[in-house]
Amino acid sequence: MRYGILLLGAPYSDQASHSALRFARALLARGHRLEAVFFYHDGVYNAARLAAPPQDEPHLVDGWATLHAEHGVALQVCIAAALRRGLLDEREAARHGKAGHSVEAPFELTGVGQLIDLGQRCDRLVTFGP
Amino acid sequence: MKLHILNRSPASSQVPAQALSAMGPEDRLLLIEDGVQGALPALIHHYAAIPGRLYALREDLVARGLIGRCDGTVQVVDVDGFVTLTEEAEQTLSWY
Repeated sequence: MRYGILLLGAPYSDQASHSALRFARALLARGHRLEAVFFYHDGVYNAARLAAPPQDEPHLVDGWATLHAEHGVALQVCIAAALRRGLLDEREAARHGKAGHSVEAPFELTGVGQLIDLGQRCDRLVTFGP
Repeated sequence: MKLHILNRSPASSQVPAQALSAMGPEDRLLLIEDGVQGALPALIHHYAAIPGRLYALREDLVARGLIGRCDGTVQVVDVDGFVTLTEEAEQTLSWY
């Protein structure tokens, strides 16, 4: 089956990100395809490239990037939710005159239309809320 | 049949009652995260309306030291079982 995940919770604030990552790994291990994870609301903080959690704790940003590298999972970040929280890729940082950027590949800033598309394309869309 | 996924405890939230009121006669309810507290005997009466259709996630029970303390009517599933429940349901709805 084709799955999509909608993640609304911030990393390390509540359990949503950990639950979503665990669910993603489990469905891939069962042979399903995970088309994309869509990061929305405070979930966009999962895309913060400068995240540096203690080494003995799960590294969520790396965890998502690994899913992309090993299974081709698209990591789509709502651009409207991201920009207002200071999460900008190089292009948006330049456009807004910011000195640095906080989002990088494999995360991609996209519109919420991609979420609608994901919902239509997938057999199952599972939401993890805060 | 829809799978409802709930991460709130009936001891501290009205969300479980809202989830129950939205459930159809065949729908299933999976308790995750702090929602697994609802599987304890002291709180199980909140779910009396859905006998045989209540599930709780093993990993979240273990993380809270609650494994083995669930009411006997609750079906405990691990994360693979969570995936299976989503396979069997036409749709999933998350309550938080």
